[in-house]
Amino acid sequence: MSAFNHPLDLHEILPERRLLGLWRLMRGFRLTYLLATLTLAIASISKTATYLLLRYFADSVLDKNLLASSGMSEITRMLLLIALGFIGLAAVEGGFTYFSGRLAARTAESIAQRLRNYLFDHLQRLSFTYHSQTKTGDLVERVTSDVDALRRFFADQAIGVGRIVLLFVINFTALLNLDVGLALASVIVVPFIVITSVFFFKRVTKAYEAYQEQEAILTTTLQENLTGVRVVKAFARQDYERNKFERDNWEKYRRARKLNMMHSLFWPLSDLLCGAQMLGGFFLAGWLAIDGRISVGTYMAYVGLIVWLIWPMRNLGRLIVNTSTGLVSYGRVREVIRQEQEPLYDPTFQPPAEVRGQITFREVCFAYEEDESATLENITFDCQPGQVIALLGSTGSGKTTLVNLLPRFYDYTGGSITLDGRELRDYPRAFLRSQIGIVEQEPFLFSRSIGENIRYGVGREVPQAEVEAAAQAAAIHDMILTFPEGYETLVGERGVTLSGGQKQRVAIARTLLKNPRILILDDSTSSVDTETEAVIRQALEALMKDRTTFIIAHRIQSVMDADLILVMDKGRVVQMGKHADLLPQPGMYRQIYDIQTRIEAELEHEIRSAA
Amino acid sequence: MADTYEEEEYNAHFSGSTLRRILELLRPHWRWTLGFLLTVAATAGLDALFTYISAHIIDDGILARDRDALIRLMALYGGLQVVQAGLVFGFIYLVSMLGERIRYDLRKTLFNHIQDLSLAYFNQTPVGWMMARVTSDTERVGGMVTWGLLDIVWAIVNITSAAVFMFIINWRLALIVLIMVPILVVIAAQFRKKILVEFRAARKLNSRITAAFNENITGVRVVKALGREDENIGEFSLLTSQMYQASYRAAWLSALFLPVVQIISALALGAIIYYGGVQAHLGFITIGGIQAFVSYVTFMMWPVQDLARVYAELQHAIASAERIFSLSDAVPEVHDRPSAIDPGNLHGEIEFDHVDFYYEDKKPVLTDFSLRVQAGETIALVGPTGGGKTTIVNLLCRFFEPKSGVIRISGRDYTDLTLHAIQSRVGIVLQTPHLFSGTLRENIRYGRLDATDAEIEEAARLAGAHDFIVTLEKGYDQDVGEGGNLLSTGQKQLVSLARAVLAQPEIFIMDEATSSVDTLTEALIQKGMHTLMEGRTSFIIAHRLSTIKRADRILVIEAGRIAEMGTHAELLRQGGRYYHLYTQQFRRQLEEEYAI
Repeated sequence: MSAFNHPLDLHEILPERRLLGLWRLMRGFRLTYLLATLTLAIASISKTATYLLLRYFADSVLDKNLLASSGMSEITRMLLLIALGFIGLAAVEGGFTYFSGRLAARTAESIAQRLRNYLFDHLQRLSFTYHSQTKTGDLVERVTSDVDALRRFFADQAIGVGRIVLLFVINFTALLNLDVGLALASVIVVPFIVITSVFFFKRVTKAYEAYQEQEAILTTTLQENLTGVRVVKAFARQDYERNKFERDNWEKYRRARKLNMMHSLFWPLSDLLCGAQMLGGFFLAGWLAIDGRISVGTYMAYVGLIVWLIWPMRNLGRLIVNTSTGLVSYGRVREVIRQEQEPLYDPTFQPPAEVRGQITFREVCFAYEEDESATLENITFDCQPGQVIALLGSTGSGKTTLVNLLPRFYDYTGGSITLDGRELRDYPRAFLRSQIGIVEQEPFLFSRSIGENIRYGVGREVPQAEVEAAAQAAAIHDMILTFPEGYETLVGERGVTLSGGQKQRVAIARTLLKNPRILILDDSTSSVDTETEAVIRQALEALMKDRTTFIIAHRIQSVMDADLILVMDKGRVVQMGKHADLLPQPGMYRQIYDIQTRIEAELEHEIRSAA
Repeated sequence: MADTYEEEEYNAHFSGSTLRRILELLRPHWRWTLGFLLTVAATAGLDALFTYISAHIIDDGILARDRDALIRLMALYGGLQVVQAGLVFGFIYLVSMLGERIRYDLRKTLFNHIQDLSLAYFNQTPVGWMMARVTSDTERVGGMVTWGLLDIVWAIVNITSAAVFMFIINWRLALIVLIMVPILVVIAAQFRKKILVEFRAARKLNSRITAAFNENITGVRVVKALGREDENIGEFSLLTSQMYQASYRAAWLSALFLPVVQIISALALGAIIYYGGVQAHLGFITIGGIQAFVSYVTFMMWPVQDLARVYAELQHAIASAERIFSLSDAVPEVHDRPSAIDPGNLHGEIEFDHVDFYYEDKKPVLTDFSLRVQAGETIALVGPTGGGKTTIVNLLCRFFEPKSGVIRISGRDYTDLTLHAIQSRVGIVLQTPHLFSGTLRENIRYGRLDATDAEIEEAARLAGAHDFIVTLEKGYDQDVGEGGNLLSTGQKQLVSLARAVLAQPEIFIMDEATSSVDTLTEALIQKGMHTLMEGRTSFIIAHRLSTIKRADRILVIEAGRIAEMGTHAELLRQGGRYYHLYTQQFRRQLEEEYAI
């Protein structure tokens, strides 16, 4: 397991059954949650008690005969107590409502935080294979929006359902105490309200999704128009664009109408249902009161209580439907979580502090997927510490795949690779990667400062002087000083945009600091001008010194000095040797070299004919 | 990131003129506005009336033991409820449709205006900023003029009508309650504002978390290669614990809000019970009356809450509106002169006459630039990045206009022509081709909207795109994905060429792509380009040797000036900049073509 210890290994515990999964996510916070529910119950009881106090107030204190029997001062004393009772109950209700909200918030936010941390770490430990098959946008969506939906589930929906149930149970019990028949008559429409509201909210959700979908389309239209503004202007297509936007915009309006109609029908309809129930209850209670079977105070308490019994029911439908979105999100998040991580510290073989860089390939094969044809076939070669191995071949010949095997980004599927005489699979990935430096053609930089980008991945505190020395060796120091904030300048959207060549040199500086024993270089300078190219070449030479180096070569110049040239075609090594060995042989290398010579000749000819 | 721009600071004070402008948005729909205001006012009034009727049910029905009165009052109550249901339907429908309509109007106005803005505006303004104006700001302003207004009217009518009934029942108690209202509103509003601030902090952190996820996923290769996993999760968990702090704080503040309002109103309730009880024994108030007061006070919380919320959100809405208006008020730098004409064609000589140009003050891009181009000539522009090649093309298309000097087409200052006259006759193929979501056919048709399918196919053939298109499953009806993402860069190039071919431009401009495409596609692109250039005045920002060599004239552009000019042979003989550029380019290109 990683150095960052998760309190909970979600990968292990999350089941497919969604409700069970949500329950498991709450591990460690269940007590808090229980407490949130209990405090909520106390708050609800206080609310109900308010109405029972009102009943007492109406029946006992407002009794016309009381004035004659007890006198005004006794009455005011009682009134004061009751008034304080009301305030006290409100304070209890308010206080406990607040505690409950606070506890629920803590639960939801903690679960979300744990989930975010887990997912972030989980994602960076999933294999290359997984990442190359997955769209970034989709993944980001799952770890942000879906996690947020889960957070909302714990913050609002789970506690919301509890709240409604509690309100119902407590108030219904109170009503039963007032009058059993009246209580039973008061809940006749409850099932209808719940059914209607589930029915509507399902439709509302559907209409809302259609509306959202159109919103996404409209946003795309807008975005494409804005990013393609030069095309729009170049073809003078403003009117066409206006019409197109108008169509999408109007469609959104049209879909909103359907959604709004649903809402406009639901609320008054459920108002009517609730209203009918309340009216029936009032009438019955009024009748009973006139008959003297219940007191006026009981009637008043009843009128107050029934509101808290019926109105929350209206929201039950919405809660139930919203809960289903939480369940869907759970499924989407779980799909990511159940992917297997790539172990960084297995196996347990304790390698030496530093490798020497002696590498052998024996009959190495590799296929991305089991039933797929092999990307690499029977690769065999030897490489001594400090040697330079050049890989030459067209796109798709397997050069990149071959070097990706070294840091164990992928594991070879056949044959054997040894490093310093030991099978590569025995080395922990984290160790291998600490020994290997990679400079890509178009390196990825993070949106941090340039200094941080150079320090990135060194794994120790690096003094500024050392960073600058590395930048100097990578021939980027002077360039960095021209930026407004020097090494503190941010890279990317909110800072400076670096050219391909500049990024490459930052990556070289980064790798110099890392000081790996083995180096993988992508030698492409196609996007930079000649002067820069010379500078980069120099920087690369500084980097390659005393390290075992693999160069993915794009140009014949960079392979000529290599200790070993592997000419690759369709996943195989078709020729192998030093420049001097390969040149006399007929074959691909010779062809490429001939072209090189022909280039010079052609150029000569070209210039002569022009002159 | 769109979020960053959305979160920018705004004026803390209310701007009266902006508020007036926001309300102006309702003017075209005044019937709907009036309709929803009246229905919601009636609904709020009825709510207060219901409580009043309830009081009479107790006094006149139950306490008086009058069954007829009970039935009569119940019938009234029920009847009014049906009326109210109708009103509720009316106002929800009206207000939500009105809100949607206002948003629709705003988006339309903004989008239409954006189409007229010049490229200079686009260069200075991030796409995300404009997106946020058209999407989230219109959403917020639309919500404020409808639901916000509704909440205000509902709350005010509700409180006022409740006050009237309370005064009818007992004026002394009514005074006690009414003193409480403003106190509640002020406290609630301050509270709301505080909560809103906390939520904004949480939202900002949330977008940072999203950005961190995004970066770590796109950069996962580097993370793995450099073994940064442990440090990254360390940094990230700092971010999430900040997020926890901020959102937990926001959440518990919101959880505190209602209880606080509730407790304050409970003080009023206590006062009512005390004084009401005394008054009842003195015969000044009935039991029903006390019941009514209890209800009024208990439910007074909601309109107060609503007022507080609207007040807190109003500032945001005004800020949104200010940003919307700043976009819709932006004046396009390049626009048609009043007397601009359409000459019917752009055949003839093109002349840059002592043109100066800069994007930013004191950073000249072109200085005293002069050039004459004969009709039908092909001009290759070469030279280092940032030298001014693209600017020349931008000026020619009149995406920008010269700061001084004149550009003439057929001897006429081109600012005397309409923009449409120029831009509809110029065909451009950009270095990074931009396609729109939709089918291939739709994308090619963008070049000429009335083109038949046969013409589209013909254009695709000429551009060399036809062959790859027919190999696709759905051929011309294949979807290209958002921004053409489902196609390769080379394929996108070919489609954008076909689009330009179909447009039959009179002047052709091409910014050659440097990104490598495979050799076959490369050859196809070349062929398509040459088809397009035939017989047309063409400007090519050229990288490929074949294009450069084929040009009638080559311009080496450096630091905003023409450093060298002539035919390929002439310039090679000179042995100057072009000679160096060419030999270097030549070597590299051949090497890459053959070797790898």
